[in-house]
Amino acid sequence: MGIANESREEEQNMREEHHGAGRYWLIWGLLLVLTVVTVLTGRIHIPTWGLVLALVIASTKGTLVLLYFMHLIDHRGANRLVFAVSILFVLLMLAIPLVDLGTRYRGATPPGSTYSDLQALDIGADAQEGRYGGAIRKEGKMGEESGAPKQ
Amino acid sequence: MQSSSHAAGGAALPVPRLAGHFASLEVQNHAARLGMWLFLATEILLFAGLFICYGVYRFLFPEAWAAASRSLDLTLGTINTVVLITSSLTAALAVHYAKEGKNKMVAVQIALTLVMAVGFLVIKYFEYHHKFEIGTLPGRFYSYEGIQLPGVPLYFTVYFCSTALHGLHVVIGMVVLAFSMVRALKKADFGPNNYTMVELGSMYWHLVDLVWIFLFPMLYLV
Repeated sequence: MGIANESREEEQNMREEHHGAGRYWLIWGLLLVLTVVTVLTGRIHIPTWGLVLALVIASTKGTLVLLYFMHLIDHRGANRLVFAVSILFVLLMLAIPLVDLGTRYRGATPPGSTYSDLQALDIGADAQEGRYGGAIRKEGKMGEESGAPKQ
Repeated sequence: MQSSSHAAGGAALPVPRLAGHFASLEVQNHAARLGMWLFLATEILLFAGLFICYGVYRFLFPEAWAAASRSLDLTLGTINTVVLITSSLTAALAVHYAKEGKNKMVAVQIALTLVMAVGFLVIKYFEYHHKFEIGTLPGRFYSYEGIQLPGVPLYFTVYFCSTALHGLHVVIGMVVLAFSMVRALKKADFGPNNYTMVELGSMYWHLVDLVWIFLFPMLYLV
């Protein structure tokens, strides 16, 4: 019974699935326009909201790809559920560590828990290497401070 | 799809094969597609791990992130975005023609997709090569004197990890699509009832495109 229902439902889903090729070209055009928009707005380097704007544009582009190129708009039920759940977990996975990080204050962090406390972990590297953006190289620059690169 | 040894109903047509435990071909196709979506969900979570690294280190080293992202070649990045979006279009068109049974067009569209994929990788090679030359490399291999800020080598760790993983997906997607192309040329049996192979390969390719749509602004623009 369940299988028969699924079969009928699937047939119903499939029927409206085939469209003309024009739709793909339209989506392609939209994606290119959005790419131009994100490059132009990205080059201005808007403070604070630049990242948000870029992510909103990227999400819009991603939604277009998912709905039309990947036909999610024609699918129902399980396919959509799987995708929605995965996005939910991505958002949780992003939010929880960032909230944790954003609400720490330095006094509460034990020694060794911030990057500047860490020693280089690479086997064979010495302790100072790579600590200040890699300014100190192995040969002969060991004693110097990182700030001023040598010409 | 191919695991079943017997064609149900004993019809003369060898394709598409219906495995005995599926009620109908539609249900079988639905199961294949659902499996693909589940797989793509794991892929999304795989890349999300790298996005979290990006987010956390960007939060810790905002200046380094801004400076390092400006050191990338925006022109090459934009060209690569356009190339990948266009290759996604041809992959979608391949499915479109597969449904109509136009096997020649399927092969042509997949070939175009593969050409653009190679183009993407060639451009990526030049970008990588440039980074190896000036020394904007991860961790202790970083030796670029133009940007000296704490956290910059971490930016390039994230950059190389995410773009290399994405590049690996490009290569895998090319192999998957190449199989469909060979089948469209040799067997030419794609049609309204048999296009799952092209469809799933194309879905994988769209995922590659999708990941790049997010990587591009994150790495090159902001």
